[in-house]
Amino acid sequence: MLEKEGVPAVPVITDAFESTAREMAELWGVPEFRFVMMPHPLASLAGGDIERRAEELIAKVLGLLQGGQKE
Amino acid sequence: MAVTRKTSPAMPEPEGEVCIPINVSEQVEFCFARGWTDGLPVVPATRELVDDLLEAGGLETDTVIAEMPSRKVSVTAEKVAINGVMAGCKPEYMPVLTAAVKALAAPEFGLHHVASALAGPTIMVLVNGPIASRLGINATNNVFGPGARANATIGRAVRLVLHNCLKYRPGVSDRATMGMPGKFTCCIAENEEGHPWEPWHVERGFRPEDSTVTLVAASTMIQVWNYGDHEQLLRAIGDALSFLGSIAILGQTPGAVVLGGEHAELLRASGWSKQRIREFVVKHTGRSIADLKRTGRLDGAITAADETAMHYAMDTPEDLMLVCAGSPIGALSMVLPGFGSSKTAGRSPTVLIQEP
Repeated sequence: MLEKEGVPAVPVITDAFESTAREMAELWGVPEFRFVMMPHPLASLAGGDIERRAEELIAKVLGLLQGGQKE
Repeated sequence: MAVTRKTSPAMPEPEGEVCIPINVSEQVEFCFARGWTDGLPVVPATRELVDDLLEAGGLETDTVIAEMPSRKVSVTAEKVAINGVMAGCKPEYMPVLTAAVKALAAPEFGLHHVASALAGPTIMVLVNGPIASRLGINATNNVFGPGARANATIGRAVRLVLHNCLKYRPGVSDRATMGMPGKFTCCIAENEEGHPWEPWHVERGFRPEDSTVTLVAASTMIQVWNYGDHEQLLRAIGDALSFLGSIAILGQTPGAVVLGGEHAELLRASGWSKQRIREFVVKHTGRSIADLKRTGRLDGAITAADETAMHYAMDTPEDLMLVCAGSPIGALSMVLPGFGSSKTAGRSPTVLIQEP
């Protein structure tokens, strides 16, 4: 939705939800929509682990933010 | 789209190339094969049966009942009627179904979270007003259990709308880890006869002669058995609302209590108002910081002060929904702890039922 409004957006999901995210993308008519995946779960991580997880993902997030949804 | 029809009533909106079965058992299997069911057989939605529901609701097939932008769907009267037929609803239930679908669409309900979350809640459909007795929606014995067609099929129709129209399918968009039995169906009427106070819809500003639907997402349901006095009962209810495994405990999300017959009578005899009851219950939803840390709900080492410092699962008396239902016999009530992490998510506005 944000992308449609011209706002660059990077969905970040845990890998357990890949099928759900893909279904949602298909529902919205953008089946090839790209998102960043991380290992599940997230909710149980403690403070320091969350920061480490964010550091691991930052390159992928930036890549998608800068490159957009185009290949 | 090529359709080969045998001589039988047509199914609305066939997709692709289909051969429509001719006898009832084949039609039932057809519905299973298309993934239209909740795992139980559905009533095949023939044109005639669907039209009966539409007529009873005074609706045209393509009247939009609710827009669901997040699911890219407009739910039409016909879609509601189809799922109503499949659930086994009588035509006269249609106005209740349309009000329930409108409630699903209300932003405050937070449908997407309710329908897709790992903690997949029961969606309780609460019906108020004179329509309940007219349609035979049970408000007493076994109110959450089996036996009453209206309860069983109205709740089921709501689930089938979620499943078929809104595409919340188990394992795909509905990711409930455990699920809840109430996801098959959960519809009750409030017992308004001899109500100790005013029924829910009157509290919300409707007239007693109005009929309404309210949806309540319950992450779990706890049956509270208690033969104490009214304060002891309310302490037990507070305990149930704040159990240490409750997903709602830290977010202080609204909860609900369905007071069964003997409990409603006990509270009536106490002379306490609903407000006084709410305030007392909310004050008794506290858990010590120590217990929250012991169960991993909060981080950190446990200090001596933690043993007496309290966090309350509910902080606002007005957040506690109180309704009366269930048999007049038995010291039992049903507690519905909250769902979701915001103050409004999981409870719909109260929607007026519009009859033709």
